[in-house]
Amino acid sequence: MKKNFYKGLLILSIIGFSNTAKAQCDSIASLCSKHIIAQFISDGQSYRSLLLNSDEMAEFHTTFFGETTYRLAACSGKTDGNLIFNIYDQDRHLLFTNKNYANAPYWNFKVKNTLECTIEAQLDANKNAGSGCAVILIGFKQK
Amino acid sequence: MNIKNFKLNTKIIAFGLASALLYSCGEPKPTDGDTDDDLAGTDTVKAVALNVGGELFSIPSPMQTALLIQKSGVAYDKAILNIGNKNGQYVSEYTKSLNLGIYGADLGYVSMYNQTQDAIGYLGAVKNLADKLGVSAAFDQATMKRINDNISNKDSMLMLVGVAYRASDAYLKTNKRTEISSLILTGGWIESMYFSIMAYNKKPTDEIKYRIAEQKQALVSIVKLLKSHNLPDALELVTQLEKLSKIYEGITTKYNFVEPTTDEAKKITYINSTTEISISKEQIDQIAAKVLAIRDKIINAKS
Repeated sequence: MKKNFYKGLLILSIIGFSNTAKAQCDSIASLCSKHIIAQFISDGQSYRSLLLNSDEMAEFHTTFFGETTYRLAACSGKTDGNLIFNIYDQDRHLLFTNKNYANAPYWNFKVKNTLECTIEAQLDANKNAGSGCAVILIGFKQK
Repeated sequence: MNIKNFKLNTKIIAFGLASALLYSCGEPKPTDGDTDDDLAGTDTVKAVALNVGGELFSIPSPMQTALLIQKSGVAYDKAILNIGNKNGQYVSEYTKSLNLGIYGADLGYVSMYNQTQDAIGYLGAVKNLADKLGVSAAFDQATMKRINDNISNKDSMLMLVGVAYRASDAYLKTNKRTEISSLILTGGWIESMYFSIMAYNKKPTDEIKYRIAEQKQALVSIVKLLKSHNLPDALELVTQLEKLSKIYEGITTKYNFVEPTTDEAKKITYINSTTEISISKEQIDQIAAKVLAIRDKIINAKS
């Protein structure tokens, strides 16, 4: 009887935490969307990942098409500047890191020729010692 | 770990999680700064992070291709689009999702060319399939009204459609229906490929040719994304997309890294690297044939 009670409590708690995490990701995505201003068309995707600590990294590959300006917004937590994002080309040359610009929550990229990139995001250990939802949004406009 | 320890751990974990959950559900405490508040909130996700995490995928927006085609001077052609009033024939979640992606791309295409009347029709098709798939939250009354109010304003329309599709993607991810989201993205990508092929047939510019050739990474992501869901309905589609991938493997690219330059005041970085792509007429034809066959199967589905 007791065993079932604890199991039940554990399951309910996990469900509760899952809902808390979802709500947290949703509110961060909503805050982050303010950085994709009207000039930019959203790529229709909401990239999100739960990071356990500042050592963990969310990563995805994307194509930046030539003659296009992109805006990338990266958010975690309720304030700007908690998420570090890096963009690498296919040969792992670092093209950009917002770490050099006070963890800017958004940045624009004017792309000359199409290239395949890897985007990585991680929590800033100096600002957020815990875990958190990382959200990245991408918008574009023709040059 | 022995059984006794496991029991003890279960008790501790259950109480710990329940206490923390009750704490997190309570009234928010006033804090001195946002950082402390963030930490309290972010710590609560630790327990579920392992189950929610996973690989992320990025698929190019079909509107980006439509924009390129329109800028290339290719005339509007309604005949290339999927017929809007066919949406009722899509019954399964699989066909509804793929065709929601296709109609979304079509809506982007007609909006790009300022075709108000056609945009109304495609908006209806999108709304209908979104409702049936349970993603009407992304196309709610307020969003629909905003889109309708701006239907003759190309820039606003494109922005609003992009936002609505992002909302649908977010909603599906939040509710762990990522397979639907993946199929919508796949449908949108296939339609954008179809736009490119049709445009290239009419006006074979280098810009459109290279855009067709530049889809290797997107296709790799789509195949991985669909395979990750292991959907029985999608097995044939995955096989066809893998065959398409094989054609793409033959396309050669030469990437030349050039140091980017940044204008900090304007928050802009110029990506100066160059890429040379080599794609033959035969490869274009093979890609075209495969994309047309895949799209035909999706839009003509009657289940």
